[in-house]
Amino acid sequence: MKILLILGLLLCYSFVSSSGDTTIHTNNWAVLVCTSRFWFNYRHMANTLSLYRTVKRLGIPDERIILMLADDMACNARNEYPAQVFNNENHKLNLYGDNVEVDYRGYEVTVENFLRVLTGRHENAVPRSKRLLSDEGSHILLYMTGHGGDEFLKFQDAEELQSHDLADAVKQMKEKRRFKELMIMVDTCQAATLFNQLQSPGVLAIGSSLKGENSYSHHLDSDIGVSVVDRFTYYTLAFFERLNIYDNASLNSLFRSYDPRLLMSTAYYRTDLYQPHLVEVPVTNFFGSVMETIHTNSAYKAFSSKISNSKSNPEMPLNQLSEHDANIPNDELKNEKQKCPYSQMRADLHKKLEKLENVDTVVNLSIAVMVVVVMVSSSLLR
Amino acid sequence: MASLLRSLILLLIVQSFLFAIAFGSNEVEEFSEALLLKPLPDRKVLAHFHFENRAPPSNSHGRHHHLFPKAISQLVQKFRVKEMELSFTQGRWNHEHWGGFDPLSSMNAKPVGVELWAVFDVPQSQVDTSWKNLTHALSGLFCASINFLESSTSYAAPTWGFGPNSDKLRYGSLPREAVCTENLTPWLKLLPCRDKDGISALMNRPSVYRGFYHSQRLHLSTVESGQEGLASGIVLEQTLTVVLQPETTSVESNMQPSWSISSLFGRKVVGRCVLAKSSNVYLQLEGLLGHELKNVDTEIEAHELWKNAEFELSLKPERVLRESSSFLFIFDIDKSSDSEPFDLGLTWKLPSKWSCQQAPLHASRFLMGSGNERGAIAILLKATESQEKLSGRDLTNGHCTIKANIFQIFPWYIKVYYHSLQIFVDQQQTTDSEVLKKINVSPSTDKVSSGMMEMMLELPCEVKSVAISIEYDKGFLHIDEYPPDANQGFDIPSALISFPNHHASLDFQEELSKSPLLSSFKEKSLVRSYTEVLLVPLTTPDFSMPYNVITITCTIFALYFGSLLNVLRRRIGEEERFLKSQGKKTGGRLKQLLSRITAKIRGRPNEEQSSSESPAAQSSVLSSKLIFKIILVAGAAAAWQYFSTDK
Repeated sequence: MKILLILGLLLCYSFVSSSGDTTIHTNNWAVLVCTSRFWFNYRHMANTLSLYRTVKRLGIPDERIILMLADDMACNARNEYPAQVFNNENHKLNLYGDNVEVDYRGYEVTVENFLRVLTGRHENAVPRSKRLLSDEGSHILLYMTGHGGDEFLKFQDAEELQSHDLADAVKQMKEKRRFKELMIMVDTCQAATLFNQLQSPGVLAIGSSLKGENSYSHHLDSDIGVSVVDRFTYYTLAFFERLNIYDNASLNSLFRSYDPRLLMSTAYYRTDLYQPHLVEVPVTNFFGSVMETIHTNSAYKAFSSKISNSKSNPEMPLNQLSEHDANIPNDELKNEKQKCPYSQMRADLHKKLEKLENVDTVVNLSIAVMVVVVMVSSSLLR
Repeated sequence: MASLLRSLILLLIVQSFLFAIAFGSNEVEEFSEALLLKPLPDRKVLAHFHFENRAPPSNSHGRHHHLFPKAISQLVQKFRVKEMELSFTQGRWNHEHWGGFDPLSSMNAKPVGVELWAVFDVPQSQVDTSWKNLTHALSGLFCASINFLESSTSYAAPTWGFGPNSDKLRYGSLPREAVCTENLTPWLKLLPCRDKDGISALMNRPSVYRGFYHSQRLHLSTVESGQEGLASGIVLEQTLTVVLQPETTSVESNMQPSWSISSLFGRKVVGRCVLAKSSNVYLQLEGLLGHELKNVDTEIEAHELWKNAEFELSLKPERVLRESSSFLFIFDIDKSSDSEPFDLGLTWKLPSKWSCQQAPLHASRFLMGSGNERGAIAILLKATESQEKLSGRDLTNGHCTIKANIFQIFPWYIKVYYHSLQIFVDQQQTTDSEVLKKINVSPSTDKVSSGMMEMMLELPCEVKSVAISIEYDKGFLHIDEYPPDANQGFDIPSALISFPNHHASLDFQEELSKSPLLSSFKEKSLVRSYTEVLLVPLTTPDFSMPYNVITITCTIFALYFGSLLNVLRRRIGEEERFLKSQGKKTGGRLKQLLSRITAKIRGRPNEEQSSSESPAAQSSVLSSKLIFKIILVAGAAAAWQYFSTDK
């Protein structure tokens, strides 16, 4: 009977945690990766720096941007314009500016370091500026550009990030509660294949080209001598240059702005893991940092209740569970806990089953039911 | 009465406050900025920015700082750094034309890439840990991959060959590290005015990085207070040395180019950094032979010196100081404003030629040998013209000698044979004991630690050239250890040649307690020069080879097993029999129907049209067999379940 009670408690608990709506959006992070080395890949660095400039302009501060550049283009001996990087042949905009913070550069841009940044498994000595210190309410933009192929992306022409690696890292991030929503944007050849293995909820992915398609550069700068920007990034920037931080343009409008004839490839987006409707999500959800302001009449009250709900941690061992609950100084939650005997649970179960919206809850329920069945059958067998 | 009392209290408070200020006046954080401009003999201009920030040894400040950067003081506190120097350099210092025997070159001529050394104030066992943590912290602070210096294969612990003698010293350098805006910006953020105001506002990134040489240096040292309970003070010195090429319009090739601050940097100085205690601009002119003989000591002389037949300055200097061979014009940028920015210019009227003072020996280094197996490193020291004039000779036992220290780090994959060390003085091979006074060698361990060599040479003054050669084998790296651009080759960090008996200093004979730049020039600094970085091509594997091996092995296996199976399974007689029987048989309706049903069951398309009847019939038989088997297994399982539960 005791076991059953604990089981019921656990079930209650999982209801609270599984509905992800309780976590509020806390901050925005961006991880921008240029994976290509060598001068002729100038455009990849220009792509990344253009995105860097855009997200900075739309409000993500430098300490929440992890910028990885695999080579030094700005002060490269071949660059006729020292300390400057351009993404257009009109040279109107110096992307390198005076205030650029590169967190990983040169030989440091490896698959290992990239996965370490995502999953947060660093050595102790690694400074804060090189860590992705996101939390369960973070929205993360992950932008990658370089040379890729079917289900892989090359790093520095020496190693590959495979779609399985990416999916595993994202899954680990989800389990470690390192993000609430993640948007992966990839500008490589056959970018869509990189998303094939993703399965974590809350992930939105967009790639520049489908399987079997190449991603092309936009134009060549004859002064610099190489192509300066890729098509997909160029048209992404064309969309963002019209916006400022207060605009309400939706992700849907961004995704519709890609014209396959101009891109010379088909932009692909995967939305099956992402619940909100794209029409309702503003682009500043990922590409900027616009916080929702919560008005409260009395200081901190409404806010703290939300926080305490979101803080509950289902991965805790059973014996610590009650202790953890008791620590929360919120009456509401205590009431909920007292209301929670078996009958209440069954009613809840019924309600949830009727809605059948949240797949996670159904899975949780079915697991619980299975446990009960197993226990009953084992007792009968004895 | 009450008001009187209140005013008395107020007075007391004010008084005590004033007293505190007066008392602590010598314990204030001080910041000063200075810019030194110097035309170079090879038609270039050197600009040397100097910023000094002092935090006094005081506990009253605690963790709070007014001007001193918090990041640096935390670094010093956390890792207990006694002294540290970090430099980011691109380009190579030209010792012949830019000078090799003045404080500017001995302190600011740095090896390419990143160089870091630090002395720690921790127990000997913790030094390496502190070093490791410091490299990580600095890499985060300055946006560079300094953390590569953490591995024991990339740093060394010099004992006496490097300079500061300490057993808690660690030294490392990264020759291939790129230096760009992202390194300069955090460095500028340590200044109280950043790059917004004062002299640092001149640092326009494109013009700084367009130069022939730029070296950004950060030197910090702690000053022990000597009193109990007081934290030590910190002196932070930040310098940026740039060698720029002014744009010339003059046609004459022997004419020095004229320039101004705005033509060099594209910006002008508008006002000083208000937080700086002093902000000065200096112009140093060397070797003005026409004026050298005159006795310049008065203001009147200065008055006519800044506009003369040879050159003309656009602004009148505050003062003129002279040293044995050079003049120093001092300008105060206090007077400049938005409407009247400070823009110092130098216009040459007559062709002018002069030379710089040289170090006693000019050092260079090169590789010998060919092939991918072994080679030799040679360091060549050549006598310079100015050798005779030097005063730093050491007359021991009646002989005139020059002492030279050589400090060199070898990465582990350069396996040096120390027994093969050969020294040639004036092309004559000498036995080691003649010139080699002291040597300290720590051999490298494969993949664990780098090798280090310290040598002290004592050479006769009339020496013309000294060559030191040492042989090495090239090591093999594991496939994971190769960098992505392994075909470019591997770098051997610069060797450092220092002359312990020669010290460079510029003494302008003036009490310049308020100018940290001049007082740093006045201090005797060790004459040193770094050699070139060497590029060693190592054997690099064909990185696609594992893939090739896998594909070819798989192909061979497939061919072998495919043909083997074909031979084993093929039965020629069976095939003939089958063909014969096909000719005889005719299809019945029932069989056709059966075959259709079995096809459906098996989920295959109906092969009725393409295939013949006989396999269809066979398959129907097979399918009935299959169904029978399934039923049998299910029955057995049910029976088993029944019996087992019964027991």
